[in-house]
Amino acid sequence: MSALAEIIEMPETGKALIQLEQVTKTYDSGENEVQALRGVDVAIRRGEFVSIIGPSGSGKSTMMHILGCLDTPTSGKYWLDGEDVAEMSNRALARVRNQKIGFVFQTFNLLPRATILKNVELPLLYAGLRSGDRRERAMEALKRVGLEKRFKSRPNELSGGQRQRVAIARALVNAPSLILADEPTGNLDQKTGWEIINIFQELAANDETIVLVTHDPGIAATTQRRIKIVDGLIESE
Amino acid sequence: MILLESIIDGIRDIKDHFGRTMLQLVGIILGAGSIVATFSLSVAGKAASMEYYKVSGGIQKIWIWNQPTGKVTLDAKALASKGLTYADAMAIKAQAPDVDLVSPVSQQQMTLSYGKLEKPHNVMGILPAYSPMNDVHVTNGRFISDQDVETAARVVVLGTERAEEFFSTDNPVGKTMIIGGAGYLVVGVQDEKYFSFDQKRNVMRWMNKQMYIPITTMMTRKGEPVSQGKVSIMNARMKDVKRHKEAVEQIEGVLQRNHGVKDFEVLSRVANLKRNEANNKMYDMTFMICGIISLLVGGIVVMNIQLASFKERVREVGTRKAVGASPAQIFFQFLSESVLVSIFGGFLGLFVGRLFTQGITSLIKQPAIVTPSTLINAMIFAAGTGLVFGMYPAIRASRLNPIEALRTE
Repeated sequence: MSALAEIIEMPETGKALIQLEQVTKTYDSGENEVQALRGVDVAIRRGEFVSIIGPSGSGKSTMMHILGCLDTPTSGKYWLDGEDVAEMSNRALARVRNQKIGFVFQTFNLLPRATILKNVELPLLYAGLRSGDRRERAMEALKRVGLEKRFKSRPNELSGGQRQRVAIARALVNAPSLILADEPTGNLDQKTGWEIINIFQELAANDETIVLVTHDPGIAATTQRRIKIVDGLIESE
Repeated sequence: MILLESIIDGIRDIKDHFGRTMLQLVGIILGAGSIVATFSLSVAGKAASMEYYKVSGGIQKIWIWNQPTGKVTLDAKALASKGLTYADAMAIKAQAPDVDLVSPVSQQQMTLSYGKLEKPHNVMGILPAYSPMNDVHVTNGRFISDQDVETAARVVVLGTERAEEFFSTDNPVGKTMIIGGAGYLVVGVQDEKYFSFDQKRNVMRWMNKQMYIPITTMMTRKGEPVSQGKVSIMNARMKDVKRHKEAVEQIEGVLQRNHGVKDFEVLSRVANLKRNEANNKMYDMTFMICGIISLLVGGIVVMNIQLASFKERVREVGTRKAVGASPAQIFFQFLSESVLVSIFGGFLGLFVGRLFTQGITSLIKQPAIVTPSTLINAMIFAAGTGLVFGMYPAIRASRLNPIEALRTE
């Protein structure tokens, strides 16, 4: 609830939704340090539909983890929705993920034993909503992806495309500031993959902010803006 | 809210992996079961002991015996020392301030007859104090009175088995029977004494075979002057259990002064009781330790299986973290699962404990009392096991790095 309220009351400061300044990330893998990001500056405005492309090992996964608040930068600044998240504690990051970010993963990552309704309710559970409110909002989110009638099903009773739609519903349910999709079509056949991209297009048309990480130039071509990462630096936009 | 969800999750987990859960819980079930059994048997044992002490004269009872002294022959011993006498009893009553009742007994084998039946039996010469001392009551007629003692009256009180033996179903009170060649008026029949630890054997039955005459009558019969009359056993009652040592010391002091030698033995039931209590504690401890060991083993199994299931669920934990579960929320989720599963095990353990107690009860004829506090104790132990051993897997889960967790296949 509070997340929603914050977004609505957020004055237009002119500042971008996402602001990265000179972000670096260094992994210490034994003897040699690996510099995954070497000073990245990015600004993404509210309502933008952006793809991040790059070959594997380019730092695009690291970029995604930092954008998604799953990891913190080694140095540099990261403002998300007006909050400085670069040096937050794990607990605070969990709250930010819960309220401001909706994830869509390549492998869907649904809880296999829970119904799809429970799966979609999950972020609301950790936000502390009461079960009646959770159910109502989860059903709304399922409606947006056209799966409201299957709410009692378990993930293994659904096709891959349907599972990814459930995951999208889960990403939407908390009304996040940012939807972060990591290779969302990677585990789907081409036709189903395009259906999922269509859903993202619709969401973008409804002013959702979406960052889509992909290695597929064809998919990247459908977004308004493309950020290409090579060797831990932004090569082109 | 999270807790409730975790509980629902936990119940689903028990249902989905029923076999695994049961395996996981064997230790906890047996542990809780043996705790129930221990407490039930111990509670019942204590209750039975207390009841037995009550019917046999209470814990304030003190025994005073003649003590055979070494290798001296019986005749020589008799010459050397008078042994316990009626005068000793009176001295104890007068001089031991922590003693409120003294009951000396003088016994002799005598021939009894009524009608055609003639039999030798042990007859006890007693004081009226015998009745409160030994929890003896007479409803049919009356017990030996002070007046009977003063006048050395020829009156007798019969135990139920003696009454039946000589008088069958007739009421013996008011009838005269011949004891040692003289006529005695039957003035009362002692109420039947009954106590059983196993609902089978009456451990007080020997008292139903007794018969009592005034101690003065007995001594006159034996041709002894009353004050020097020999006493085979004496009981005394202390005023206050807390001062049991003092009471025993006072008695020993009086007897030592009167006899000049220690040819007696004084034993208080409190001392006995203390020893028994120590023994009981040993048994309790042994059983408890078995129960606790089972619970420990059970706890380790819970921990292992919880760790294994946690490895299966690394991705799930990663997902939960990605959508915003805080470390604390993950910690409580895992911990509440362990506790829930353990409580479930403890609950099953209560039934197993019931079976244990019933088995033991029918095997060794020991009573068992299952009290609510016993059940609550067992449950608390089981839940505690889950709490302690669930801690480590829960901490591991809560510290999991979400990026690595999501990468796990």
